[in-house]
Amino acid sequence: MTMKLRRRAFIACCLLPGLVLFGLFKVYPTVQVFEKSFFQWTGIGDAPRYIGFKNYADLFRDDVFLLSLRNTGFLMLVVPVATLLVALVNASVLTRAKLKERALYRTVFFFPSVLSFVVIAILWSFIYHPTIGFLNAGLERIGLGQLAMAWLGDQRTVLWALAVTMVWQAAGYYMVMYMAGIDGIPPDLYEAASIDGATGFRQFMHITVPMLWEIIRITIVFSINGVLTISFIIVSVMTAGGPDRHSEVVMTYLYGQAFTNSNFGYAMAIGVFVFVVSLLLALLSNRLTERGES
Amino acid sequence: MDYRKTIAAIAAPVMAFGLLAGCGSNGGSGNEASRAADGGSGGGSPASAANSPGAGGAEFANKELNVAVFQGGYGREYWDTVAENFMKEYPGTKINITASPKIAELVRPKIVAGNPPDLMYIAGSDNTPILDGLIKDKALLDLTDVFGAATADGSQPLKDKILPGVLESRSMSPYGDGKIYLAPFNFGVMGLWYNKNLFDTKGIAPPKTWDELFALNDKAKENGRALFTYQGIYPGYLEEMIVPSIFSVGGQQALDQFYNYDSQFWKSDTFRQVWGLLEKIANEDNMLMKGTVALNHTQSQTAFMQGKAMFIPNGTWFEDEMKDAPREDGFQFGFLGVPAFKEGDPVKVMTNVEQIVIPAKAKNPELAKAFLKYLYTDESIKLNAEKSKAVMAVKGAPDLAKPYISETTYNVYKAVDSGMEAVSGSFKPVAKGSKYNPSDEVYKPISSIMNKQMSLDEYAAKLFTIYTDIDNELKQAQ
Repeated sequence: MTMKLRRRAFIACCLLPGLVLFGLFKVYPTVQVFEKSFFQWTGIGDAPRYIGFKNYADLFRDDVFLLSLRNTGFLMLVVPVATLLVALVNASVLTRAKLKERALYRTVFFFPSVLSFVVIAILWSFIYHPTIGFLNAGLERIGLGQLAMAWLGDQRTVLWALAVTMVWQAAGYYMVMYMAGIDGIPPDLYEAASIDGATGFRQFMHITVPMLWEIIRITIVFSINGVLTISFIIVSVMTAGGPDRHSEVVMTYLYGQAFTNSNFGYAMAIGVFVFVVSLLLALLSNRLTERGES
Repeated sequence: MDYRKTIAAIAAPVMAFGLLAGCGSNGGSGNEASRAADGGSGGGSPASAANSPGAGGAEFANKELNVAVFQGGYGREYWDTVAENFMKEYPGTKINITASPKIAELVRPKIVAGNPPDLMYIAGSDNTPILDGLIKDKALLDLTDVFGAATADGSQPLKDKILPGVLESRSMSPYGDGKIYLAPFNFGVMGLWYNKNLFDTKGIAPPKTWDELFALNDKAKENGRALFTYQGIYPGYLEEMIVPSIFSVGGQQALDQFYNYDSQFWKSDTFRQVWGLLEKIANEDNMLMKGTVALNHTQSQTAFMQGKAMFIPNGTWFEDEMKDAPREDGFQFGFLGVPAFKEGDPVKVMTNVEQIVIPAKAKNPELAKAFLKYLYTDESIKLNAEKSKAVMAVKGAPDLAKPYISETTYNVYKAVDSGMEAVSGSFKPVAKGSKYNPSDEVYKPISSIMNKQMSLDEYAAKLFTIYTDIDNELKQAQ
């Protein structure tokens, strides 16, 4: 009995520092976010004033917020789908095709994941540079000069341009995860399939994808949430939300309201809203991708 | 509105550290405080205190002063030196200087905790929003008496020493009640710039009116460049030509309408004429440099210096900011100012004055005021010019600074003294809790005008609604 008690006490002691840190730096700030979202507060001076749900009500009358929400939604839809598709195809090709340069490609594709987001953003803002940029210069070189445009300066292309950057940044990371997963698939499945005459594409659809399904589900959630955080840095550096807010995302708007507009309570309401939306999205994607228990 | 903008991108991750650093330095200055207090009571001999000149000899109950300063292009050396000089002059006092490029994030937690620094010099567009917050909160100390009182080194009231109009401006008297809450510090001059070498060698005269400027489009074409570019993704830089132009066309009255959210401004002829310039630049061939809207400040400024465009708006910091940038052969900075609309009208420039504040909750406001006054002594102005290469918003400051600043910069400052008309202003603070950031609302949609995706009518209608909203919010708040 005493032995059991001492054991428990020991475990509790070991857990305590972690729990305290977690509570102090994770739970407490999160609770604060929720609490402060009910106040009108500049984030610096005087006592916050309780205003109930007004911040939330204002969200839906704020055109800029709605636009930024739409932009974020676009990125959340396009970027994960494209990223995971590219990653999956690359992973499958690299593992199944038995390429000699496999290790090299893996390193090259993974490279963007070890670069800082700011570096990536600066790099791509030069790739998209309207006059000296790699993209427009390249188009002109191959005789498609009439297609060259200010990619980041036009409201019709800016989100796509940002999406490409974000896909480029993340695809390699997920590719490595998928490659590890594919390596875990028993090779006899593929052997049997090829004896039965299945093409590479059918093998991909009927062996690789189903066997990786659990990993894919997790990466969908990761990727959706990744868009939220990465978009802040990418947008701040590359476009500052421009032109005319057509690339403003919720995180940059939140930051602007909190720190340049001194509207801390309102910013927290945006934070809570984003929190709820991303939670719902994660649940939804989890539910949608769930397979019936066999 | 300056070049330190991109830093915002890196701000978020740094913020966490900022908070930690804030706590750290707080503890540090606390320790220094106790040490200083000990030293002050033990070592400060009454004789030396009595001997100090001018307003010296004044005894301060609390001899410790915590000062937070922005450490940007101007550095922190001035502050360290001026604090030392002050401590010599007022023996027993102890000044702690905290300097950082992200000073707002360092002081924010202290302000929230009700323990703000005694005096703050806040500049740089990453930091100045905190001043807007403090203004909205009415959390600044009234400094009117500082400027009414005699200078630290003479008998005239301090306000006579400051450049005319500055103290009355909204940047210093934000509530329009004649009370000064922010003290002026360095001042910058903004307008259009050109390549002086090109103009001299090709015999082009710098344009004095917008018509003359637009007529140079042919010359621009001949020399293989566009007429105009600006800091694309930060259209706020266009303020530097828009604001003086509003003043040019409609005078102070129109500028007041613009800054005080009179929605009728957007139906006025002034609006048509001034924004008409932008529309013309957007629509006529070769006027706007290709791709401008997508460029950041560094990219567009580099393009300008490489001879891709004839004119660009920017401020006195331009030369220093771009000192390492590539440029076309023989490039020389030339300051044009903002052309007039009518022949014979003076060329305008926009001026901007940095701010120093004392928080209302400062622990030691008396000493803070004494230190603030000390900053305006000739000795300090010279020191600032020497150490920071900056010019304070004080009469005659450019000449005091002349030995230390570059010729281009000196000429820009002198131009304001000799004929160019200075215009300044800032938006009235919006109601607390308002979602609008007036400067963003006004300048950001200009990207769409430049892209020819928004007409002036649509723009005016949009701004009309926004101004009506902001005005209503202000009325409700009263």
